[in-house]
Amino acid sequence: MAHNAPDETLAHLTRLGQKPGVQSTLILSRETGAIVRTSGLISNSKSANPNSTLPASSENTSDGYSNGRKESGIHSAEDVARMVWTFIKSAGSMVEELDKEDEVKLLRLRTKKCELIIVPDVKYLLVMIHDTPPA
Amino acid sequence: MQQRRDEIVAKKQKLAELKRQRELRHKETQNRQSMSGSPSEILQPTPSREHTRREVDNIINGIIGSSRPGSTGPGSPAGGKGSRPTSEISAGQLSGGTGTPPPYMGATPVGEVERGTQTLSIGPLTTIYETPAEPKPEIITYSKGVQTQEQWTPPKVRSFQSDSDDDESPTAVKTPRASKRLSRRERERDEDIRQRLRKEVEEEVRAAQALGTDPVAPVSTSQPNFPARTLSDEELNAVTSSEDFLDFVERSSKVIERALEQEYDILADYALGRGEGLDDEDDAVGAAAGKKGRRIKEVAQFWDERWSKKRMISDLGISPKFPELVLAAYTKNPSAPHEPDGLVQVWNQHMPERPEYVFHAQSDILTAKFSPFHPNLIIGGAYSGQVLLWDTRAKQAPVQKTPLTKGGHTHPVYSLDIVGTQNANNIISCSTDGVVLGWTVDRLSKPEETLELVSPPPSKTDDIAPTCIAFPQSDPTYFLAGTEEGSIYPCHRYDRAGAKAGVDARVKYTGHAAPVMSLDFHPTRGQIDLGDLVLSASVDWSVKLWKVKPPAASSSTAVTGAAAGGVGGAVVVEPLLDFPREDLVYDVRWSPVKPGVFALVDGAGMLEIWDINVDIEVPVAKTAPGDKKGLGRFMARSLNKVAWEKNEGKRIAVGGMDGVVTVFEVGSELGGAEGVRQEEWSGVKKLVGRLEAGLGAGAGTGERGAGGMVNGNGALR
Repeated sequence: MAHNAPDETLAHLTRLGQKPGVQSTLILSRETGAIVRTSGLISNSKSANPNSTLPASSENTSDGYSNGRKESGIHSAEDVARMVWTFIKSAGSMVEELDKEDEVKLLRLRTKKCELIIVPDVKYLLVMIHDTPPA
Repeated sequence: MQQRRDEIVAKKQKLAELKRQRELRHKETQNRQSMSGSPSEILQPTPSREHTRREVDNIINGIIGSSRPGSTGPGSPAGGKGSRPTSEISAGQLSGGTGTPPPYMGATPVGEVERGTQTLSIGPLTTIYETPAEPKPEIITYSKGVQTQEQWTPPKVRSFQSDSDDDESPTAVKTPRASKRLSRRERERDEDIRQRLRKEVEEEVRAAQALGTDPVAPVSTSQPNFPARTLSDEELNAVTSSEDFLDFVERSSKVIERALEQEYDILADYALGRGEGLDDEDDAVGAAAGKKGRRIKEVAQFWDERWSKKRMISDLGISPKFPELVLAAYTKNPSAPHEPDGLVQVWNQHMPERPEYVFHAQSDILTAKFSPFHPNLIIGGAYSGQVLLWDTRAKQAPVQKTPLTKGGHTHPVYSLDIVGTQNANNIISCSTDGVVLGWTVDRLSKPEETLELVSPPPSKTDDIAPTCIAFPQSDPTYFLAGTEEGSIYPCHRYDRAGAKAGVDARVKYTGHAAPVMSLDFHPTRGQIDLGDLVLSASVDWSVKLWKVKPPAASSSTAVTGAAAGGVGGAVVVEPLLDFPREDLVYDVRWSPVKPGVFALVDGAGMLEIWDINVDIEVPVAKTAPGDKKGLGRFMARSLNKVAWEKNEGKRIAVGGMDGVVTVFEVGSELGGAEGVRQEEWSGVKKLVGRLEAGLGAGAGTGERGAGGMVNGNGALR
């Protein structure tokens, strides 16, 4: 609900980032691809705004949840953001070509190692990377 | 054929004439252009065009007229034009956009038209933007005209009209395909322009972005399209505190949470054979876990660190429209005076970590339920006496609430219901001072009806303290009110034959020795009407089953047989069946699908499922919510409320003192819409008949006798 205090809403996000299996979360601006918020990702750029990372992310990277990620190589937030952004853009254009009035609502990309859940919206998009459930 | 050829020859001649005329006019315009400059080219004087068009029309009509003398006549060109104003407009636009059409005649290749336009600058061409949609309908009408050229005249008129729209009628007349091709080319041209515009805009955007991407240029060089711009503190603040952003986070995190919760792995490869995934059949808890059909399985538990803490559950409900949504009302958290006292959380069974919706109120919510007629609405009764209405589409505060003045309730509202039909329903609320008010959902500012329940004559005071009310399925004007003193009174909303509105003084259901906590009418869904069976739960450690007298025929003569005796005119009805329990019983609910099944929760924190077809002495299944959170050890585990999922009847939600909502799924013998046997209905009916007979025979001996008789029958079966 929009009336929630900002802290409370963001607490949901923090909690989401701390769930078992969740490697990282990322919020981008849909239009420019600017990173609004990340957790569980390391920023390699000096100019990156440290405030955009959630408070929880620092301890999150040090505990067990991120082990899987380290094996697969550390991605900087910027890299992931760029790749996701271009990916969602091409997905969007594909859908638009299929049907002009259609739009992408949800992307779940399952790889051998993890799953990306991307929720695109008018202004922002939320990306969550988590371990594939063992099955 | 000869005639046709003649026609064509004649046409060609006319066209040649037209061509000559146009050339003349073209020269004229050129002259004028040289004098007044290019703007006049677009603002061509309309009269001249109108004139030529009429000429063209005349010529065309002449042609048609000669070939088809018997036709109904194409009508005067002016009249035809009047009837299709749109085409005229499009014609104007087209000619205005393309500039100087006259030189292009029948023989002219269409490609020239295109080339001609391409030399124009983009500025004047913007008017064309309005045309792309228009050529399509034009084509359709035209080709129709061609197909029926030999037989039909009226379409022909229309088709030629469209020719004149083009201002290139000769081309069109000659080959209809040309016009089609033309429009296709037009479309292509439009597309071309659009693409160019898009490219320009993109370049602009890129240029603008390039300015911003400077700081992280190395990253963006590999992907020029991606502006990995870092937001400044201020920007970040602005974004994260914006309503849009919070709204987005709220919605998208819910989506992700549901996605994470989705347990089934659609990529599962059973060929790999990991050996897991076998349904754990024997983890069922409780006394009757032996039989698979009667097991109760816990499927979800809802508790929120922030909101559920130190609050008790005061009511539960499952949405009739979305069976995965569970509503829970809470009392206040005594240790958090700054938080709203009243709270309603709507939980999603697919998202156990956090509530789907949270609603607030200024006073403890004592009862709440989904509106059965509107999936978005939730109504609740508050300790302050307010009746509140929330909308899941709105914010947390109630969208409507009743006044706290004399018009509304001034005592706690412990019970309310929505009765009626989809289009005509009322909220009926009941406060502990005996005031029953009726409201319309649209307007809670003033009650529609007011009714005051007073104790019938023999009692010493007028006061009556209803703790719960229940409406039968069939009659929204009649209800039962359970009171604090233990009696249950039948009440009428309106005056009716033989009874005034209010408590019906002629009948009284006595049996409970302590406040009645819950009343539930049998849901009439099956072949046999059992709608007069009522269950009541009381803190006197018992649940009782009643057979309610029909409201219309509740005169004293009709009930003499079953009644134990009247006191001061009131007929006292005794319960059909008594289920003594080992603890306070807080709530009891009939299964919505199985005729003999009901669920009860008690002060010991047990959920019991009974089936009166199977046994009337012990529950068929019994369980307690798991202590998942590890916080119930020191807290009271008492369960306050129970609610069935109404459509399938498979899931039960329970909740109590510790604020945890637990959802159970019952086995196929206790729930599930399918597999309800006919015997179950007739079995309940027979049982009720036997009980009634037993009650009549053993009047005075009490329930022991009745129970014994039933037991004997049960043993026989």
